[in-house]
Amino acid sequence: MTHLTTKFKPSKSKTIKSKAIKTNSEDFHIAKLTALAIGLHMIEAVIPSPLPGVKPGVANIVTLFVLYQYGFATAAWVSLLRVFASSLLLGQFLSPTFLLSLSGALLSLGALYVAQYLPKKYFSAISLSILAAFAHIAGQLIIVRLWLIPHTGIVYLIPIFALAALVFGLINGLITAKLIKNH
Amino acid sequence: MTHKLNHRLLLGDWLVIIASVVSIIFMFLQFWSFEQASKLKIRQGNQIIGTYDLNQTRDLHVHGALGDALISISQGKVRFKQSPCNNQYCVHQGWLSHAGEVAICLPNQISLHLIGVKSNYDSLNY
Amino acid sequence: MRLTLVIYIIFLAACSSKEPMHNTQSYVFGTLVDITIYGESEDKSQLVADEIIRDFQQLHHHLHAWRPSKLQTLNAAFASGKTPVPIDAAIANMITEATVLSIQSKGAFNPSIGELIEAWGFHNDEFKPTNIDQEKINHLVNAKPQMSDIVIKNGYAFSNNPAVRLDFGGYAKGYALDSALTYLQNQGIKNALVNIGGNIIALGKHGEKPWRVGIQHPRKPNAIATINLESGWAVGTSGDYQRYFELGGKRYCHIIDPAAGYPVQGVQAVTVLIAPSANAGVLSDVASKPIFIAKPQARVDAASMMGIENFLVIESEHHIYISPALSKRLTWLDKDAEKYAVEYDTQTQP
Repeated sequence: MTHLTTKFKPSKSKTIKSKAIKTNSEDFHIAKLTALAIGLHMIEAVIPSPLPGVKPGVANIVTLFVLYQYGFATAAWVSLLRVFASSLLLGQFLSPTFLLSLSGALLSLGALYVAQYLPKKYFSAISLSILAAFAHIAGQLIIVRLWLIPHTGIVYLIPIFALAALVFGLINGLITAKLIKNH
Repeated sequence: MTHKLNHRLLLGDWLVIIASVVSIIFMFLQFWSFEQASKLKIRQGNQIIGTYDLNQTRDLHVHGALGDALISISQGKVRFKQSPCNNQYCVHQGWLSHAGEVAICLPNQISLHLIGVKSNYDSLNY
Repeated sequence: MRLTLVIYIIFLAACSSKEPMHNTQSYVFGTLVDITIYGESEDKSQLVADEIIRDFQQLHHHLHAWRPSKLQTLNAAFASGKTPVPIDAAIANMITEATVLSIQSKGAFNPSIGELIEAWGFHNDEFKPTNIDQEKINHLVNAKPQMSDIVIKNGYAFSNNPAVRLDFGGYAKGYALDSALTYLQNQGIKNALVNIGGNIIALGKHGEKPWRVGIQHPRKPNAIATINLESGWAVGTSGDYQRYFELGGKRYCHIIDPAAGYPVQGVQAVTVLIAPSANAGVLSDVASKPIFIAKPQARVDAASMMGIENFLVIESEHHIYISPALSKRLTWLDKDAEKYAVEYDTQTQP
């Protein structure tokens, strides 16, 4: 298995482009990780949250882990595949819930794309996880404000969601850092 | 895999965490220091014209002492959009959204009063 | 969408709890009058509030500065010479009280400059920018009308200076607050809040808590701070945003420096908090003006001259000054204002 010290490797999308579709153990591993992400996403979708709208977002651990092991392009695939597959499996495709997931995932990928260039000497997976969590919640709140609840009252919820993003982002980041270290 | 999560936080991680905490505190102060209003009470002269939900988008025409004023409600906020008065102070006041806020058009004798869960105050000194 | 749930819970809470509170509003003195009575029956509250509003309307009618009124008749007599004319006892008392305060303020509060106020176009419900007539202003300032020019004797009055033209615009609302408070107490009302165009006086409490008053931000639509108004306390603000016009990019407000003959520039608002006294209402209306008119370095002196401990001066968004006494009583709502507020050093003043 690759190690943290290796630079971001050629991504999976490149592998697919090659004429003869060959699968190797790496592809198999990524597929397994995507399945895990979908599973985590669905478990979270079913378990009721004590505070509506606030979820730990454990599937993001997988995205982050893939980013470190296989590079950004692969992480983006895993993340978006998870959003689409989960919503199809849960029968929420193109529903508000799906759009919330998608906008959250897109913004959080955007944040990760920028954050991956932060010096590794000072910024670990924990930083990336927190930044991604903030971007995720920002993406969701934008959809909520623009489309679902076009009401100025939601500014009330912003600090609560931001706090949740920090807490869960930190926890997910710690878990990811541990996973990477043990690999 | 060990079960301890005491991963060493790097300098940058601490910076990110501190910056996050600071901005969250700032957001609480910024967004929670005012009570968001939920209803609007419109009066003309001594009469209450009506109480309206702020959670909608609509324009209201209120007939005042000088003529018709246009009051615009837009999802949690309200403003005087047009007024027949000379000075247009009411129009210049802009959007109101917090409980307890008041816009008064004295010449036309129309007042907008925002009502919330709990207002920060009982009456306004201006 | 579960987020909507949260919003609905917030809104549902808004609809509960009905308080024994009665609110009446009306337009008198060219402004909004708002009377809140707590803890009385609807009928009694309505009766008392209606009576107060009727009193206000009558007072306004008598004191109107630019429509036929008792005050206008008196002003005409003052202008025409030194022949004593009969004077209404209530108006005589007001003149006496206003004269004392005018002397105390060293002429900064001067209700006898009605002609100057008219020259600036403020004697109108719907005023427009006026062309500034420098010659006329000089003439009116040099005529030096003073409250002490008025002589009242045995129910008759005359003025030693024909330039005296009474305008109680900066006094009547305060006077009305004091008379309303007296009337409320006489009617056995324990808790009430009276607001006349922003000048407020409190009686009793709002249930378990003291009455709380928001102070309007001079440039934003929201309140800048709140203060608790204990029973008998009054609060008043002089602002350049209440009555003003703009000409050549400059703002001309209704507060005119009698010595200069010009509207005061460079101050957005002065708020004074007045401790209980027989004329707390009048002071809430009057005492902010000398502070508003004073030069920046003379504001603390102007306040102490008027016996004011609690005051707030807003020059601009980033120049806010507050007396230490008021600083202890006030709760900021506007975090920017709080950051920029500077406490006056009232200790070193002689």
